[in-house]
Amino acid sequence: MPDAKPITLTIDGKTMTVPDGTTVLQACEKAGSPVPFYCYHPGLSIAGNCRICLVEIEGSPKLQIACYTRAAEGMKVHTTSDTTLKGRQDVLEFLLINHPLDCPVCDQAGECWLQDYYMQHGLYDQRFNETKIKKPKAVPVGPTVMLDAERCILCSRCVRFTDEVTKTGEFGIFNRGDHSEIGVHPGKTLDNKYSGNVVDICPVGALTDRDFRFKCRVWYLRSTNSVCPGCSRGCNIEIHDNREREWRPHIANGERVMRLKPRYNPDVNQWWMCDAGRYGYHAIDENRLAHVLLRDGGAARQGRWEEAYRRLAGALEPLRQAGRLTQLGVILSSHLTNEELYAAKRVCAALKAPNVVFQRPKSGDHDDLLIQADKSPNARGAQALKIPEGALALLEGAAGKQLRALLVFGQDLVELFGEAKVRQAAEALELLAYIGPHANKTAELAHVVLPGAVYAEKDGTFTNVQGRVQRIRQAVAPWGEAKPEWQILSDLSSELRLGLSWVDPQLIFEELAKAEPSFRGLTYAAVGEQGAMLTG
Amino acid sequence: MSAELESLRPQAEAILAKYEQQRAAMLPLLRLVQEHQGRISPEAEEWVGRLTGVSPAHVHEVVTFYTLYHQQPVGAYHIQVCTNITCALRGSAQCLAAISERLGIQPGETTRDGRYTLSTVECLCACEVAPVMQVNDRYVGPITHEVIGTLVAQPEQLGSAPLKFQGTPGLVEPVISKRFTLKDSHTIEAAVRDDAYAAARKALTEMTPQQVIDEVTKANLRGLGGAGFPTGKKWSFIPKDSPEPKFLVVNADEGEPGTIKDRYIIAKDPHRLLEGMIIAAYATGAHKAYVYIRGEYVEPARILQQAVKDAYKYGFLGKSAFNTGFALDVVVHRGAGAYICGEESALLESLEGKKGFPRLRPPYPAISGLFASPTLINNVETLAFVPTIIQKGGDWFARLGHGKSGGTRLFSVSGHVQKPGLYEASQGVTLRELIEAAGGVPEGRTLKAVIPGGISAKILRADEIDVHMDFDSLLAAKTMAGSAGVIVMDDTTCMVRALWYACKFFAHESCGQCSPCREGTGWIFKIIDRMMQGRGRPQDLDSLLGIATNMEGRTICVFADAAAWPVQSYITKFREEFEYHVREGKCDIGSEVRSQMTGVSV
Repeated sequence: MPDAKPITLTIDGKTMTVPDGTTVLQACEKAGSPVPFYCYHPGLSIAGNCRICLVEIEGSPKLQIACYTRAAEGMKVHTTSDTTLKGRQDVLEFLLINHPLDCPVCDQAGECWLQDYYMQHGLYDQRFNETKIKKPKAVPVGPTVMLDAERCILCSRCVRFTDEVTKTGEFGIFNRGDHSEIGVHPGKTLDNKYSGNVVDICPVGALTDRDFRFKCRVWYLRSTNSVCPGCSRGCNIEIHDNREREWRPHIANGERVMRLKPRYNPDVNQWWMCDAGRYGYHAIDENRLAHVLLRDGGAARQGRWEEAYRRLAGALEPLRQAGRLTQLGVILSSHLTNEELYAAKRVCAALKAPNVVFQRPKSGDHDDLLIQADKSPNARGAQALKIPEGALALLEGAAGKQLRALLVFGQDLVELFGEAKVRQAAEALELLAYIGPHANKTAELAHVVLPGAVYAEKDGTFTNVQGRVQRIRQAVAPWGEAKPEWQILSDLSSELRLGLSWVDPQLIFEELAKAEPSFRGLTYAAVGEQGAMLTG
Repeated sequence: MSAELESLRPQAEAILAKYEQQRAAMLPLLRLVQEHQGRISPEAEEWVGRLTGVSPAHVHEVVTFYTLYHQQPVGAYHIQVCTNITCALRGSAQCLAAISERLGIQPGETTRDGRYTLSTVECLCACEVAPVMQVNDRYVGPITHEVIGTLVAQPEQLGSAPLKFQGTPGLVEPVISKRFTLKDSHTIEAAVRDDAYAAARKALTEMTPQQVIDEVTKANLRGLGGAGFPTGKKWSFIPKDSPEPKFLVVNADEGEPGTIKDRYIIAKDPHRLLEGMIIAAYATGAHKAYVYIRGEYVEPARILQQAVKDAYKYGFLGKSAFNTGFALDVVVHRGAGAYICGEESALLESLEGKKGFPRLRPPYPAISGLFASPTLINNVETLAFVPTIIQKGGDWFARLGHGKSGGTRLFSVSGHVQKPGLYEASQGVTLRELIEAAGGVPEGRTLKAVIPGGISAKILRADEIDVHMDFDSLLAAKTMAGSAGVIVMDDTTCMVRALWYACKFFAHESCGQCSPCREGTGWIFKIIDRMMQGRGRPQDLDSLLGIATNMEGRTICVFADAAAWPVQSYITKFREEFEYHVREGKCDIGSEVRSQMTGVSV
């Protein structure tokens, strides 16, 4: 509301001004006097049912819920008065009487809002002496989510999510009174493209993630801010990896990343992410290329990085000396970071190699909420760097012997264009090099295979479909002997004595921001945690 | 989709056509399915979901929320014995045991031949014929050995409980009950002969809407559903220049234990209600009215439906009521078994096809009510007084009352009195006068306690009955007039047991939306139940008072407060009796009822 007039109110003695329409809860948060809440979620309608956000408002005979009450001129709110604190404590007692208190076997333990608020606002002497109500436990409600109805506090967040966000309506609260329970329709399942979000918004252990369940206690997790690489939306995420891996190698059989969680970004994904992105993290540890592979006619053998660089240089140097770098093709990938694409562009420019393109993976499903058909994170970045798109011409050129060497980054050309074309090119080429994190059919046909890093193993930026430049950060070390692609490009340029070398993606970005009009003026500081739009 | 469900489509379409929004057809569509299939299957839920535009999970929510929907088939005769407080005071526990023994099934079970299903229910609001049961659509009571014999041998021969109006103590002439004693008083012919619809005609042809509101304001008419809000004021809140359509909704979801009045008005004089509705709709500019009638009131709903049909025929409803050009359509909408739907915002949710969850306010219904449009909601009795106010004037009506509570009202007197039933008296009548009019407690007993305004009201001791029954006097006496359901308890009543019944009711009826009420009502009942089993602990009484206080005023609606008040008042006023229970593990009263009152001996 642009014409809304400001409201002045007092919260815990502190006078502040908020726009009209602000709730007391929002105002309290702004005033640095946050109130606890369960049912309230900024991305959902207001239910007002949990009652834990009750606050004392002068002149009002009863405590009022902060989530629904609108801030009003002259209002005096007390979030720490005895009445308010007593109200919170009482509500917690009600919420916990029928709760099973099975924290030791509950996946939510450590990030449970019942635990947290009990320590902050509860601490009462237990007086419930009756038999607790029994409800269904460990019920799979769909492929991704497990329900424990006894732990549920009936805040209805999940119901509102499936009603209001996905509009699929799977959840309901059945029965009434203290026999109320969350569930799905008999014979139906929670099976939509965003189902995992209900686990995130469940403040307690009622809805847990079947993928994550019993894998790792949450206090062993380390969180790194990043961006989902699953499509061009670029949903902001946290990568949760097992920081105790060295001491607890048994956890999830040594898998490094335990889960992804969406991170709030109002302009990109709000609070949500899709299941494909959420569970896509398994690729981080699966089917990885761990070593340099060299293939000389016959079977592949493991090699060292120096050998590989020499091999690449050995193929490129003669072309360079003969001024025939038109016979080099470079197929970049929309999975590479802006920094890597820029580094590649610089290397090719220094070589005077004109045949540089980028290739996207196969398109997939899309919807109106988050999911984009482009299943890669940085096609927009490649476009902003003015790199032409499409690998087919180069591949056909290679098969037609117009090229001598072809460097392929990331994409599986076999999957995109068929095995025959790639095999034909491999046979015709003097050098087919594949640089990427995962083993695939293209890598199998390459003469040189260089193991690259996945997004979780490197720093950099992606530019999402909206043109928003967003940071990714290294959460785990590269797999085996793998290296981030910017590092490989830097090493290769040293090998070719191009006078280009980089030690850090941030420095590449600084250079890029000077050289590339679309990025002009951007810095990592400006990109921050929420990203920044392309400037040109 | 089964052909059987599809065969119901024409009827379903006719139901859907009555409502502004598809979803509002939810309750009647589910009833349609159940009437034809004997239950509501998951498949039927999906079918109804498609018709109403909601997901099957939300249909299932509705099916599991309301007690009148069955997921499993019931017997050919579904016996539902009331086990709420007034029936308990008159021997329902013994009746239930006797029926259970004769049929060889426990509550919740069906006889092997599929002939009978036995259930217990909360108050059917037929307390004057307690102990009462519902057998399929019919109210049967008082239950006696003879009735049980018929039930078992020839259930089709069971007669409906009589509707006997008990009188007008202290009044010169009856007001709202004027036609109750006429022959065939529910018919339009009888009503019109007695001047029905003259007031509506007068309002529509001789008065402006504002004049009507002014008259009702002058009358000091208060909301007789129980809240006592000034009716004229409520009407004046409806915006005059709203671009959206406005609605009138009649709250006929009578459910407050101890209250029978709306059932009498609808069954005995439905045209008085319709006339009041026409006047209210005219005053507020509504052209569509819904009567949300309690699902158990099958016979009254039929009578009302016929009355609506006749009123259309006579030109009192429809496109041009009384040929004035004023249009009003009336839809009778049946509930499905949930006390909370008597709360006005829960009623609106229910009418829109959802669970009866009270709404956050503001906005109030006057601004955003049914289908988010301005809505006037009034109780049956409130509206039924309006024709007389228009005819005889607001001042005349106000003078009949007491203080700021104008006129007379209907008092439902039940429990331990000799002539339980419905009485009309001035708002200024005292509780003592009412109990005396009802014949007082049975011979040889003494009065112990009285609930003056339905089960939610705080209890009064025998020495507190000289209070006037108007809203403000009872408020001053730290209780409330509520729905004017007077429940009388004599010295044979165990107050712990009485509270047990109240708490059982509130635990059963809490909608479950707000955590304090959802958890608190169940917790309180469990403690009292343990106490009744002789396992009370000394700290329980203070726990109960503490839990009640922690619920009070902490929820979206006042149900939690209503659940807290009996706990607070019974324990405070009869603490010694509670302490005895805890200390001795038993009651010092003996039996809580005199079974001979009902003819059923233990």
